[in-house]
Amino acid sequence: MDRVADITVVRLEGISKSFGAVKANDAIDLDIRAGHILALLGENGAGKSTLMSILAGRFRPDAGRILVDGRETVLSSTKDAIRAGIGMVYQHFMLVPTMTVAQNVLLGQEGGFWLNRGRMEARVAELAEFFGLAIDPAATVSELSMGERQRVEILRLLARDSRVLIFDEPTAVLTPPEIVHLFAALKSMANRGKAIVFISHKLEEVLSLSDDIAILSRGRVVDRVETRVVCSKAELASRMVGREVFLEVEKEPLPPGEVVLEMSGVTGFGLKEVSLTLRQGEVLAVVGVAGNGQKALVETVTGFRRPATGKVNILGREWTEFFRNPDWKHALAYIPEDRLGLATCPNLDMVDNVLLTTRQGFTRGPFMEHGRARQVTADMVRDFDIQPARIATPAGKLSGGNLQKLVLAREFYRAPRLIVAEQPSQGLDVKATEEVWRQLLAARACAGILLVSGDLSEALQLADRIAVMFRGRFMDVFPVSDTAKVEAIGLAMAGVGAGH
Amino acid sequence: MTIDLLIPLLAATVQAGTPVLYATLGEMVTERSGTLNLGVEGMMLVGAFAAFLASTATGSPWVGFVAGGLGGLGLAAVHGLVTIVFTGNQVVSGLALTILGSGLAAYLGTPYVGANTPGFGHLPLPLLADIPVLGPVFFRHDALVYVSYVLPVLIWLLFARTRLGLALDAAGENPAAAKAAGLSVPGLRWLGVLAGGFLVGLGGAYLSLSYTHLWTNGLAAGRGWIAVALVIFAFWRPGRAVLGAYLFGGVMAFQLRLQASGTVLPSSLLLMLPYVLTILVLLLSSIRGRVKNAPAALGANVEPEG
Amino acid sequence: MRLSIVKRQEPLPGGSFFILAGALVFSLSISALLLALQGKSALGGLYVLWHGAFGAGYALVDTILKSVPIYLCGLGVAVAFRMQIWNIGAEGQFAMGAVGATWAALTFPEAPAALVLPLMFACAALAGGAFAFIPAWLKTRLKVNEIISTLMLNYIAILFLDYLVYGPWKEKRSFGFPMTAQFSDAAVIGGIGGSRLHWGLVVCVLAGILVFVMLRFTRLGFELKASGSAARASRYARMPYDALVWTVMAICGALAGTAGLIETSATVNRLQPSVMAGYGYTAIVVAWLARLNPLTIALAAFFLAGLRVGVENLQLELQVPAAFGNIMEGLILLSVLAGQFFQTYRIALRRRAG
Repeated sequence: MDRVADITVVRLEGISKSFGAVKANDAIDLDIRAGHILALLGENGAGKSTLMSILAGRFRPDAGRILVDGRETVLSSTKDAIRAGIGMVYQHFMLVPTMTVAQNVLLGQEGGFWLNRGRMEARVAELAEFFGLAIDPAATVSELSMGERQRVEILRLLARDSRVLIFDEPTAVLTPPEIVHLFAALKSMANRGKAIVFISHKLEEVLSLSDDIAILSRGRVVDRVETRVVCSKAELASRMVGREVFLEVEKEPLPPGEVVLEMSGVTGFGLKEVSLTLRQGEVLAVVGVAGNGQKALVETVTGFRRPATGKVNILGREWTEFFRNPDWKHALAYIPEDRLGLATCPNLDMVDNVLLTTRQGFTRGPFMEHGRARQVTADMVRDFDIQPARIATPAGKLSGGNLQKLVLAREFYRAPRLIVAEQPSQGLDVKATEEVWRQLLAARACAGILLVSGDLSEALQLADRIAVMFRGRFMDVFPVSDTAKVEAIGLAMAGVGAGH
Repeated sequence: MTIDLLIPLLAATVQAGTPVLYATLGEMVTERSGTLNLGVEGMMLVGAFAAFLASTATGSPWVGFVAGGLGGLGLAAVHGLVTIVFTGNQVVSGLALTILGSGLAAYLGTPYVGANTPGFGHLPLPLLADIPVLGPVFFRHDALVYVSYVLPVLIWLLFARTRLGLALDAAGENPAAAKAAGLSVPGLRWLGVLAGGFLVGLGGAYLSLSYTHLWTNGLAAGRGWIAVALVIFAFWRPGRAVLGAYLFGGVMAFQLRLQASGTVLPSSLLLMLPYVLTILVLLLSSIRGRVKNAPAALGANVEPEG
Repeated sequence: MRLSIVKRQEPLPGGSFFILAGALVFSLSISALLLALQGKSALGGLYVLWHGAFGAGYALVDTILKSVPIYLCGLGVAVAFRMQIWNIGAEGQFAMGAVGATWAALTFPEAPAALVLPLMFACAALAGGAFAFIPAWLKTRLKVNEIISTLMLNYIAILFLDYLVYGPWKEKRSFGFPMTAQFSDAAVIGGIGGSRLHWGLVVCVLAGILVFVMLRFTRLGFELKASGSAARASRYARMPYDALVWTVMAICGALAGTAGLIETSATVNRLQPSVMAGYGYTAIVVAWLARLNPLTIALAAFFLAGLRVGVENLQLELQVPAAFGNIMEGLILLSVLAGQFFQTYRIALRRRAG
């Protein structure tokens, strides 16, 4: 290798970290080298994020040591990590939305007491230009796109001369062209001698970008390869899980039933002329990069945002009329992305969480039938195999998969005829994902499902039809069997080539 | 109303508005760094008593002034301990602080009720005091009023032009981001709580050293709570805090004049005016829909590191 | 070695008891120190305090009587706090309840007890409840912060009460004292079986049972709990948030108003400024100490009523200012708040990593 420098900047030796009984990291050894892009590949829950949080000084390891430039270093705070030249771009950006780009970049930097706005912005502009990260330093962060916000994060690290830059799933919020742009920037940074760590579970990205790959599973590094010796995605996948799995569920098309949701020309709150028809027995997947109007679409359909203009009909009733006093049963169920904050109360037990949306079914006069609710919850725990099986467990203590199963069990108990599911398998492991998918497909028998997903493979697995969303507009709606259009989804997500 | 009647009223407005201004600015600093401290009323009372005591003991009103600030700071430190270190509920802790503070001031102050203290005398500013209208309204007061003219500018400078102000704002807007930038959020919040408490205490000191020159119980009379409301009215900006404080000063001065003039209106009803105005002012701010200007993480504690 | 803070996997068993005990010891120590600071005997003072509150039958009855208004207000405050509605307005609602009841008593001086007492209860609950609707309206329609609006309304209600007893309702023969005429015997809530303990106690028991049942067994109680536990989730679950706000404010206003009625009718027998003794604020301390639980509120109310009675004794025997009670209330609440930290976290000694 003829890179600028091939020296190890950071070495991890025997790093272990447990949370309660869970071993998130188990004796991990890892070398991070200058001028190299190291990909950290693994399923959700494999321990990638914990490991990187340890490097970023957010967690302290239970055992093991960290060597920076060969010297043992204790990273007991973010500040220590920054001093050691280690910086991290988090999945959820750590920016202050009310401040400008320049203020965010220079926040926390040492320097004089006074700030000079002009000089500050000039410095950020200069830095941005040097690394090819175009951005207006005077812009307020809340007005930036996700891609631009990520650039602010990167600039912040570069402004501190960080030598190790860690990226936690950086492509999740980007459009395909923005991803290309990011990869170019990452390569140019590596060429200038920075050490890049790239955390991902997307195989193709890892293959196209990285120099070395470390595969994590259950808190251990199970494999380490140079990218150029890996022949294919399949090979990488099999190294990752020890067997080849490409998750597939069987799906038989159902005859379409009556119309459960009809939208025509809905505009406003970020939506533009959205029209769709959804029938019972059908899954319509809305795909697109986060932040292109999916939120507004979901909130409109679920009744939390009144459509500004246009018509929405749910189960044959006009929006206002439907939501004036919606029936709890045989009507609408919403499975939100935010399972813990929105779909459940973390402090309440499973029974109370089941009652959250089904309480009308357990009311006698002014009183609640707590006994029957406990019985029904126990049935759900059994039928959906929710662990731990104790119904007095607070929702906040359930794992992501079990919590999602509880939400599904509760929402299906309402026998809905229209289901809005938002990122239903996000953050779940393979087994849980498969179960959630199966349950959703089974629910089609009585309901039409509006699936909003950022995960293309999920959409392709479940959907009968796909709608691609870009800047509040449906670029195209087509059956999943239309392979030509399926191929072009990536472009459509970026607003290229409207198919009509 | 002729100008001859208006000028004394406006001058009284500035006097009555000054303690509220100190307290509003103090609470604003605290809130912008992310902590809600509802104990303003208690901190003002403790500040007022500490100022009275120190000024009486040393004979120097300036020592009293600083002591008032330190009194407010001391009580604010209790709030910091409960909410920043022990992550207790900020609303309840603030209420408890008011109960504790008013109790402390009344308990320690009982022997001194009615006693006089060397306070601040009038100090007309040369040249400025002779400007027609503006002179008598703004420049024929005591030193503490003049300090309060500079304070909003200093606080504006702090937040708009300094690295520290930027960091304080970050702790109030997004503590996680501040932490990721290598800042110590607990440290910044401590600073906000203590500095705010000090300013609120200064407002209390004004009450005993400038406004009354003597010690009585319940000197703050709800001014602390009005300050909490004014922070909202001010949209967390020092400039509007001045406006709000003088609005209140005006109502209080007007109400006192009216009482002194022997009006037929019962005094109990007149005394309601500032409190009614507080509600009206909040109502107006929320109709203007700018409450979203509040620091995003206001009132939310930061979990200790584990 | 260094100290570090570790989150507990399970809350500390019996934690609330240890926390309360620790907070009490801490608060008493500081209070004793304050007594010593004023040249009083610290231990002696604490004994006088204890004896005055719980040491004799007479004192015990005083304490029980004082816990009546505190309990009713505490119950109301707790219902609102359950929903994270920071209603600080029990004091003002108490005043309006007293005013409402007094209106009924003064307007119908000849009416028999069977008519005038129910009317007084209705007026007190209505006046307190209606007064609590003001912040409810401000909050739900105009998004005005309820902490400040309820607080300002406390000042306004007390000044309104003052206005009445200094003005239109002042008794002609009161020698200038601000007070109304004494209530007719029919309008006075009497003692139970000739004792000093009056029927207001029974009202407390009934109210306690009703609130307990409401919180524990009804849909309203469930909706309150869920709304208070997570605001976003309750919106997701289509809880009728605004209606719930109105309901809790009405309940709190009615309870605090009833407390005002009982205090005016049973204890003072007329309306005068001294009925406003800050019970509405003590109620906040009580509600929080009792973790918003209707049963433990009774204990906490009894305890803080004892503190007030004891401080009165302290005032009488050692000339300690009445504000001493406020200091103790504030200290206890603050130390319990801080102490609750140890229920979720523990301090651990650990070697430096590496």
